[in-house]
Amino acid sequence: MLPFTFVRLQYRSGNWDTDPRMPSNLLHSLIQYTTVPVNEQEKVVSLESAELFKYPFSYLSGHKLVQFNQKERQNFETYVKNGGFVFVDDCNHDVDGLFARSFEEQMRQIFGANALKKLPNNHKLYKSFFTFEEGPPTTSFELNGWGDDLVHDYLKAIEVNGRIAVLYSNKDYGCEWDYDFRNKRWLAEDNTKFGVNIIMYALTS
Amino acid sequence: MAILSKEEAQAILKKALSFSKADECEITLNGNVGGNIRYARNEVSTSGSEENVSMAVESRFGKRSGVATINEFDDKSLEKVIRRSEEIARLAPESPEYIELLGPQKYIVTKEHFDSTAKVDPAYRAEAAAKSIKAAADKGLTAAGFLEHYTNFTAKMNNKGLFAYHPSTSVDFSVTMRTDDGTGSGYVTQDYSDISKLDTGKASQIAADKAANSRNAKALEPGKYTVILEPAASIDLLQNMFFNMDQRAAEEGRSFLSKAGGKTKVGEKLIDERITVYSDPNNLEVPSSPFAGDGRPQQKVTWIDKGVVKNLYNTRYWASNKGAVSVPPPGNVIMEGGNESIEDMIKNTKRGILVTRLWYIRAVDPQTLLYTGLTRDGTFYIENGKVMYPVKNFRFNESPVIMLNNLESLGKPQRISGSLIPPMKIRDFTFTSLSDAV
Repeated sequence: MLPFTFVRLQYRSGNWDTDPRMPSNLLHSLIQYTTVPVNEQEKVVSLESAELFKYPFSYLSGHKLVQFNQKERQNFETYVKNGGFVFVDDCNHDVDGLFARSFEEQMRQIFGANALKKLPNNHKLYKSFFTFEEGPPTTSFELNGWGDDLVHDYLKAIEVNGRIAVLYSNKDYGCEWDYDFRNKRWLAEDNTKFGVNIIMYALTS
Repeated sequence: MAILSKEEAQAILKKALSFSKADECEITLNGNVGGNIRYARNEVSTSGSEENVSMAVESRFGKRSGVATINEFDDKSLEKVIRRSEEIARLAPESPEYIELLGPQKYIVTKEHFDSTAKVDPAYRAEAAAKSIKAAADKGLTAAGFLEHYTNFTAKMNNKGLFAYHPSTSVDFSVTMRTDDGTGSGYVTQDYSDISKLDTGKASQIAADKAANSRNAKALEPGKYTVILEPAASIDLLQNMFFNMDQRAAEEGRSFLSKAGGKTKVGEKLIDERITVYSDPNNLEVPSSPFAGDGRPQQKVTWIDKGVVKNLYNTRYWASNKGAVSVPPPGNVIMEGGNESIEDMIKNTKRGILVTRLWYIRAVDPQTLLYTGLTRDGTFYIENGKVMYPVKNFRFNESPVIMLNNLESLGKPQRISGSLIPPMKIRDFTFTSLSDAV
């Protein structure tokens, strides 16, 4: 079995290099809780590059505009339709922020107006390793004071052939999990457990 | 009457004890003379003085105990309060945590009483407020402040031979200033044992500058930031940590120092090794009482040594029950620091936030010491070594334990709330949302 690689997607618009310590915390959790072998370093892969197709899981985030060029758009679509899994996390934690608006527009253009759907909180994702009875765990960045003041109590997803291909979050898990790994031991409950679910779902569904 | 000398206190205590028929009896006398002045909208609103002496008597029959208090000290009143405490003791159930009263103790003498503070009069208070109001008015700001000073004594005696006496003085000053358009706010707080160290005009200048510079704050996105915490910003979080170092809570699994099976984290490295915390009643900047409330002598105790937890405090019952060394809770906290000034710290910061004050702090999780609260009264964005502009206040979610693991640098310790605390530069301080509070 090839080791799991945390792939971060690099795209030309906006900013893709967010929350630099988040992947190591997730990889640490995979080692801690599962027997999945892992590459210890995240890998940054250009969305324009065909290298992406070697990996089943990828992560895309940012604060700013998402506007794929033709190659990026084509690769995203092919990757998703061929069984790839993209976890997309909005660092603005804002349903009406620039990242949210522009990324959702990209999805509409590629997959049609109704492709992104609310994911029910009893979805298999929430039981794929740990159990989250209430759906996605909340983050401390949700009541952010930017005016939306919403706790997003569900995630959205694009499903292809009955499995999630694009998991889309406005909850800013990236920022929530972006801390020095040594501080993880002080958390009452390890908040990266849901990240383990996302990766385990991506690898096993 | 309010401040009794050692001899006067001793005479009253002896007299009162002579009426006791209980197996054990311990009497505590507390007295204070104090004054205060409060101002708002650049005008004094209240000023006054107070004085009081009160006596608390604990009588015990076997493991039964009763307490009664009084503040009259003629022979008849002394006998009355003794009888009342004895009556209550007879009615009380036996204490499962009974421990015999302490016998004679040896105490160090600490210098916490200053004539300068004891002599403060209404004219001084008026002048102190005037200086502060002037600092505000000169900049077109509105000040709301409070100054309060006390001369105190505590004396304790029991029929096992213990006698303790300690005089002290204190002054606390704080002022908040607002800009006329209500968009800027500044704050300063200072406290001393020796009031001659307090200059309300100079202190108020700090609040005035902060207020004037914090007009029209910009919103920054919540997230993890490098922060420079002034001592007034970190003190509450740190005290929440230091005053949670109780041995029983740790052994009973209720504290951040608990481990499974009744074990504690004593001996473990908990935080950054640059952090050393001790208490010392003899410290000249933050002197404190040579004895604890239960009569145990205070001495220098190291709580955290280079990041490693060294000691926990306990009650006499818990110490004896567990065969542990008896360590009273500290009267002050001294955290070692470095020599950097806040200005140096700002110069060395590429991108960060200067925090004047945290307030409205509430506990989220006692076992990881997670707290939430708001910044206030002067929050500024720093870029490339310079304070760039004021920013809107944030809500934070942070634990002092995590904070002290994310230490970048320490400044020169300053007195705050009776403790010595350095300014601190901390990375990854978690601001979770914005606040409209000014």
